[in-house]
Amino acid sequence: MATVRIPTPLRVLTGGEDQVQAAGDTVKDVIETLEKNHPGIRDRLLDDKGVRRFVNIYVGDEDIRFLDGLGTALKSTDEISIVPAIAGG
Amino acid sequence: MSTSNPERGALQHKSALVVGVGGLGCPVALALAEAGVGRIVLCDDDLVDSTNLHRQILFSEADIGSDKLDSAERALYRAGALPGSIELVRSRLLPDNARELVRSVDVVLEGADNFATKFLCADACWLEQRPVVHGAAVRLRATVLSVAALGAPCYRCLFEDLPGGAAAPNCAEAGVLGPVVGFAGALMADRALSVLLGDTSLFGSLVSYDAKTDRARELTLTARAECALCSAERSIDSISYDRYTAPSCAA
Repeated sequence: MATVRIPTPLRVLTGGEDQVQAAGDTVKDVIETLEKNHPGIRDRLLDDKGVRRFVNIYVGDEDIRFLDGLGTALKSTDEISIVPAIAGG
Repeated sequence: MSTSNPERGALQHKSALVVGVGGLGCPVALALAEAGVGRIVLCDDDLVDSTNLHRQILFSEADIGSDKLDSAERALYRAGALPGSIELVRSRLLPDNARELVRSVDVVLEGADNFATKFLCADACWLEQRPVVHGAAVRLRATVLSVAALGAPCYRCLFEDLPGGAAAPNCAEAGVLGPVVGFAGALMADRALSVLLGDTSLFGSLVSYDAKTDRARELTLTARAECALCSAERSIDSISYDRYTAPSCAA
């Protein structure tokens, strides 16, 4: 199962957890698993066009836009990071 | 960190624009001043509030109600800023003034509290071919992105456009931890000083810091082939007011 790092704004959906495990052969599958386990999270990540434009998803250090997007294949040891845009200071 | 103790003399003919003198802008301005940057332009229109004091380190209780820029100027000179080095712009960065302001300096440090200003700054810096360091901090998380004068990658490669409507994070309620902005501000200043000293190796680097896990991760971004700002396919060739309408977010 892949490890998914949950950014602060989304931890309200994961019971405060900053890191969760999610099964899936691709990034899309992992997001569906996340949605089953943590309802509402998919809508924060995806819209009808794909990944929301102010969110970036990385597998390791690679932005999935430069891999196969939501179809990016995963290994069990992969770490997925979600990097949303933030504005504040 | 990329630099340490640069010779003050090396920076006395250099200039920087600090967009927003808040939680990020205060440590940024302080670091630039103490490093001996010869011209530091501060851009803000706000007054000091008691809720600022835990993280906006240039201000004290005696400054509550005062113009942020006046208070910041006093504090920076007390801290050793070069005589005459602090310049005040009593305005937010706006479509009307953005290009002129960024054109006048060697590097821009953007610590705005809203997405509209972040994208405006990104666009103005690219159009005027100025390097920019973008910083942001909310709750326990901070990000710092260094962008070269010609982008590739730029802020729009990372976050294409303003988030709209209900999707915009409500950082007015989220708050931010003082040391988190301090960390981000220090990193922003370090990146900007590197740029001023001629180091281009950190362009395109995004640092994401999570205070809960006390981990900073660095990602090297790749330019987006269809980026509206910095790619060959770009569509942004001017500052247009309607491009920056979005809910503001005061933290």
